Amino acid sequence: MALPALLFFVAFGVVPLLGVLLLSFTSWDGIGVIRPAGFDSWRAVLTDPGLPHALWVTFVVMALSWAVQTPLSLLLGVFLAGHQRYRELLAVLFFIPLLLSSAAIAITYKALLDPNFGLGAGLHLPLLTQDWLGEARLAMGVIIFVVSWQYIPFHTLIYQGAVRQIPRSMYEAAQLDGAGRVRMFFRITLPQLKYTIITSSTLMVVGSLVFFDLIFVLTEGGPGDATRVLALDMYKRGFQANLMGQASAIAVILVLVGLTLALLLRRIGGGGSSASQLEGV
Amino acid sequence: MATTLRAGARQAAGGQKRRRRGRGARRPNWLGGAAGWLWLLIVIVPIYWILITSFKTQSNYFMMNPLAPPAEPTLDNYRFVIEADFARYFINSVIVTLGAIVPAVLVSFMAAYAIVRAGDLWLLRSVNALFLMGLAIPLQAAIIPVYLIIIRLHLYDTLLAIILPSIAFAIPLSVLVLSNFIRDVPKELFDSMRVDGASEWATLWHLAFPLTRPALVTVSIYNGLAIWNGFLLPLILTQSPNQRTLPLALWTFQGQYSVNVPAVLASVVLTTLPILVLYVIGRRQLLSGLTAGFSK
Amino acid sequence: MDSRPLSRRNFLGLTAGTAAGLALAGCGSSGPSDTGSGGGGGGAAAGAATYWFLTGPPGEQIRQGSVDRFNQTNPEAQIKATTFQNDAYKTKIKTAIGAGQAPTIIWGWGGGGLRSYVQASQVEDLTSWFAENAAVKDRLFPSSFGAATIDGKIYAMPAETVQPIVLYWNKKVFEKVGAEPPQSWGDIMSLVPKFNDAGVAPISLGGQSRWTNMMWLEFLFDRIGGTEVFQAVFDGEKGAWSNPAAIEGLTKAQELIKANGFVKGFSSITADSNADQALLYTGKAAMMLHGTWTYGSMSQEGGDFVSGGNLGYMNFPGIEGGKGDLSSTVGNPGQYLSISSKATPEEKETAKKFFSTAVLSDAEVKEWTDAGAVPIVKGTDSKLSSSKDAEFLTFVYDTASNAKVFAQSWDQALSPTAAEKLLDNIAKLFQLSISPQQFASSMNQVIGQ
Repeated sequence: MALPALLFFVAFGVVPLLGVLLLSFTSWDGIGVIRPAGFDSWRAVLTDPGLPHALWVTFVVMALSWAVQTPLSLLLGVFLAGHQRYRELLAVLFFIPLLLSSAAIAITYKALLDPNFGLGAGLHLPLLTQDWLGEARLAMGVIIFVVSWQYIPFHTLIYQGAVRQIPRSMYEAAQLDGAGRVRMFFRITLPQLKYTIITSSTLMVVGSLVFFDLIFVLTEGGPGDATRVLALDMYKRGFQANLMGQASAIAVILVLVGLTLALLLRRIGGGGSSASQLEGV
Repeated sequence: MATTLRAGARQAAGGQKRRRRGRGARRPNWLGGAAGWLWLLIVIVPIYWILITSFKTQSNYFMMNPLAPPAEPTLDNYRFVIEADFARYFINSVIVTLGAIVPAVLVSFMAAYAIVRAGDLWLLRSVNALFLMGLAIPLQAAIIPVYLIIIRLHLYDTLLAIILPSIAFAIPLSVLVLSNFIRDVPKELFDSMRVDGASEWATLWHLAFPLTRPALVTVSIYNGLAIWNGFLLPLILTQSPNQRTLPLALWTFQGQYSVNVPAVLASVVLTTLPILVLYVIGRRQLLSGLTAGFSK
Repeated sequence: MDSRPLSRRNFLGLTAGTAAGLALAGCGSSGPSDTGSGGGGGGAAAGAATYWFLTGPPGEQIRQGSVDRFNQTNPEAQIKATTFQNDAYKTKIKTAIGAGQAPTIIWGWGGGGLRSYVQASQVEDLTSWFAENAAVKDRLFPSSFGAATIDGKIYAMPAETVQPIVLYWNKKVFEKVGAEPPQSWGDIMSLVPKFNDAGVAPISLGGQSRWTNMMWLEFLFDRIGGTEVFQAVFDGEKGAWSNPAAIEGLTKAQELIKANGFVKGFSSITADSNADQALLYTGKAAMMLHGTWTYGSMSQEGGDFVSGGNLGYMNFPGIEGGKGDLSSTVGNPGQYLSISSKATPEEKETAKKFFSTAVLSDAEVKEWTDAGAVPIVKGTDSKLSSSKDAEFLTFVYDTASNAKVFAQSWDQALSPTAAEKLLDNIAKLFQLSISPQQFASSMNQVIGQ
């Protein structure tokens, strides 16, 4: 039954992966002859101080975007699952960022953040006319903000659906016991959402690893290399500096990191158990 | 077991009905409300900017306040976009997205089911590990070998060239999410189906499929959007204008040294509008899909 | 249930076999694969050539125009053109060439990129063809051939326009502050506090693009130590970046930054949104160092800034005590068309015919001058005086043809590997996060790569 998936994946996923692995042991500029180069590319990559830096930046982006997106998506998901006026309209509007392509979003924010012609200048607010993309910390903050802007609608949707699944009876019982809204949130909502949180977090974390378009257009890894995540580093080495062998080595590293993370997340989520969350209701 | 299922369903349905009058009306959720409206502002401003700028011309767009609506709004940008073969790109994008999502989700679903149901069979455990490994394959790295394979298969410059790798890259994540979800289906339900004499296939379609709807919807949306907005695969694997998809249309307005921002934004608006309409129409289905439960 | 494990085992074997087969087929080759017809998809009749070039006005329409004119006069062997956006093109052309799918006519920037094609034997040697067709060669600017020549042989046809880098200034802003256009580096430095005090950015810069920062370094190096400074780097001399003139150039650039010479937030501004040009024509900045291609966009987007005569332009001034020749300039000496070596002989013939008859034909030359650009054809200065941008075009023409040396932009002259390192270091230098010495030692490591 798993056969078709396997076939597709092997043909267009595993084989290219093997290809990438092979390429990492070569030295190739993308145009000419592929020259086997043993561990040269690996050595160049592993001794480059740029690599630990890129790993660090990637980790920071991953951690921060998770830390920002998860609570916000949770809150919004719970909010939207309720019954407010205008909820329909809000839900539609909230969803729009998700529909835009990363390139479109990047162009938009680039223009809005322009210190001379952007939002700050338009509103005459000095606070908003910072060197947003030119200072390391600010640039990182911008990236996190824009990523969150784009993906929170998606995770909100997931949480919204999941919250709706929580049986009313649980809340009613708690209310009879005199529990307030905050108590109910922490005692009922959150635990029931455990698997959803794991799923959403996995999507977030693994997604942020290969995430690239937005950062490329917004900062191109800058200022300097303050936002040069691993995937961007790989692209620049391969397609701009013509060092395909090194880029392939970084790709392999990315795959290994992703695999580790996925396994870790599964472990945390108690993968393998078939116990339902709703047991004992 | 079957009665429990039905009772649970009835209770869930009853719960839904009662919720209408429920939580929200009792005490207004100030924190949630404030967060919601603040978020609305954050969401709206860039979208507003995109809309008004798409009606400005490239020449005066720097001269005016970025937040001011255009003094002389123009439809020129939209005209450019439509004249630049927008319809063709749009159709191609639809074909590619649907053509990739449907097989990808179906195939991932089957694989996820097999993995969860097989329990301890080492074969399927290793298949699962294989898929996990595929989670973080960066497209930019794999693109060269994929490109070479596509050429060997004589599929270069066809829509299929985009569809096939898209399916492959959507699989690992879909399998992960779907298998997590299926794992949550109580074992007893499966056992009861087996007791009733159902084959694995029947169990797959009649039991797992309806119950897994929320995850299927989630996965379809996530992958669907990624493919709709995907840029690298169409760029590398197609060439002639007839095979181009919408994201590539963006670049018609990007010259050697400068970008015609208003025109690009008009193109963005036109690309997003159809899916927005789809979403508005299908929202009810979407949400009910996401909330199919299997509470006991 | 029982039959399944067995079929699974078979299946596993099948998978392994398929995977191995595909792996061998797809990746076992030790070089770019040749899939038969060398020209990219689409060529119908034999000899039909393919040509890829960039989108965007005015170049796209002008190039297409030449192709259309050629196709009209050559019905038996047509050229099929496909256009791509700049960044997309850079990726696409590399993958295409690497997989043996290159178009017949390859549009490019010459220099280091062309060298990488030559080293991979992907482009035709045109030296003998030019010798046979001297008329074609002689009507073009001699300086344009520099970037097309690798190791003494010519591998590309220079085409299109010459685009030196010039120093622009906003006349109105200068008048307001009561300043004169700078005649030397010292003047520039002393103008900086004047403009800052008046609330105007002295210099506009799209720093995020990095090559914009590079233009300042190019001129500093040249004016301080002459063209030999960078030539040494290009020739692969060890330690060339540690040349005292180079270090001085890097230091001077940082001095300018520390004195707040560049617009605030320059590291957030990219050149391709034209925001840097907008700073100049809206009067928010006083000066800007940029390529002559910006003249066209500033005329179009700047309202009456250009037509009202407010745009000043000059060749970069000298520096006190510098050795460089004041007539030398830097920029794009042309754009370059190469012929894929993997194309069929008929396709190559079509391409060569295109070069000799349609590229930079009189019709095309007129279209370029109308668009405000100077094509690399000798003797067009007489035609320029009738254009509405006569003054500017004549200035560009004179600058380009009188330049002692017209050096190619560094990021095009160097190999892509070194160029990438260079741009990275330039970004850091302008961020003031590395010193000139650190810059030099980092760049010295990639000399000759």
